Amino acid sequence: MSGAPPDPRPAPALRHPGAPLDIRGYACPLTYVKTRIALERLRAGEVLEVWLREGEPAESVPRSAEEDGHRVVAVEPLLAPGGGYRVLVEKGVGTGGGRWP
Amino acid sequence: MALTDDRIARYARQLLVPGFGEEAQEQLGRSRVRVVGADGVASAALVTLVQSGIGKLWIEDHEDVAPADVEGWLYPPSAVGSPRAEAARAVLAPMSRFVSVEAYPTGGVPTATLVLAPSTAQAVASAEAARRAGIPHVVAEADGDGGAVISVPPGAPCYACARSTAGAGRPPQPGIAALAALAAEELVLMIAFPGTIPGRRLDLVRGVTTLRATTRLPGCVCAGATPAAV
Repeated sequence: MSGAPPDPRPAPALRHPGAPLDIRGYACPLTYVKTRIALERLRAGEVLEVWLREGEPAESVPRSAEEDGHRVVAVEPLLAPGGGYRVLVEKGVGTGGGRWP
Repeated sequence: MALTDDRIARYARQLLVPGFGEEAQEQLGRSRVRVVGADGVASAALVTLVQSGIGKLWIEDHEDVAPADVEGWLYPPSAVGSPRAEAARAVLAPMSRFVSVEAYPTGGVPTATLVLAPSTAQAVASAEAARRAGIPHVVAEADGDGGAVISVPPGAPCYACARSTAGAGRPPQPGIAALAALAAEELVLMIAFPGTIPGRRLDLVRGVTTLRATTRLPGCVCAGATPAAV
């Protein structure tokens, strides 16, 4: 996406607890609602892999995840039938539902 | 139990509210809410509860729809003269296939109660019955186009401790829908996030809300044994 040089540090150990969340058949706002629910089920530091359709979902879901305090680890083209984007989101500390602020 | 796709789609906007989530929505879906009073003032609260995704709505009102009720959000002019509980059910039930709407069945045990009774005596009696049963409840006091919302989770100071005592409420104005919706939203929070909403009083005056913790009156019966939380 950008011309920044690769980070020479070793990649952090990220835990992928489950199968990818393939929501390429959904439109907004359901894409982020489903992403958010899936993140709720994880512990802080675990990573969710989300498959999204190209366009608005691939742009808005990573942005919404960061706004909610999660960390977007990667956004890259998906090498799978149907195409789209593969987004890795690391669950942030103190995020998710279940507690009223 | 995870939320199904159709429930996620139905409640998508609510699920995006910060702090809200799957667990909160499931808590709502398991709830049985008794609403005491279904006149025009209560209309906005009834709609809000159904739209929030509670599991069951029990409506308790033994009066007929009056012409003044039609000014609310619920009753069509053709409903005037018909029993309120049934007329409200007829309008509310089609709003969501996930919510069961019925007249309150004798002996039904709710998990939460919303009191929108037209008289102070009825409000006090309904709130006290809920308190004795350990059921979280919210009471709305209408006053012109504002009023007060008193939240009473189990163990908190009771409605009698926190209610308004200065004079009778003025006749409801159109803006009263805001108070009713606030009362319903307060109950939704109490259901969705058990144990997190303290006893408190919200006053709505000329469109401005103020919030304060409720305090127990000396010698009140609610200072006795705390009922178990539901």
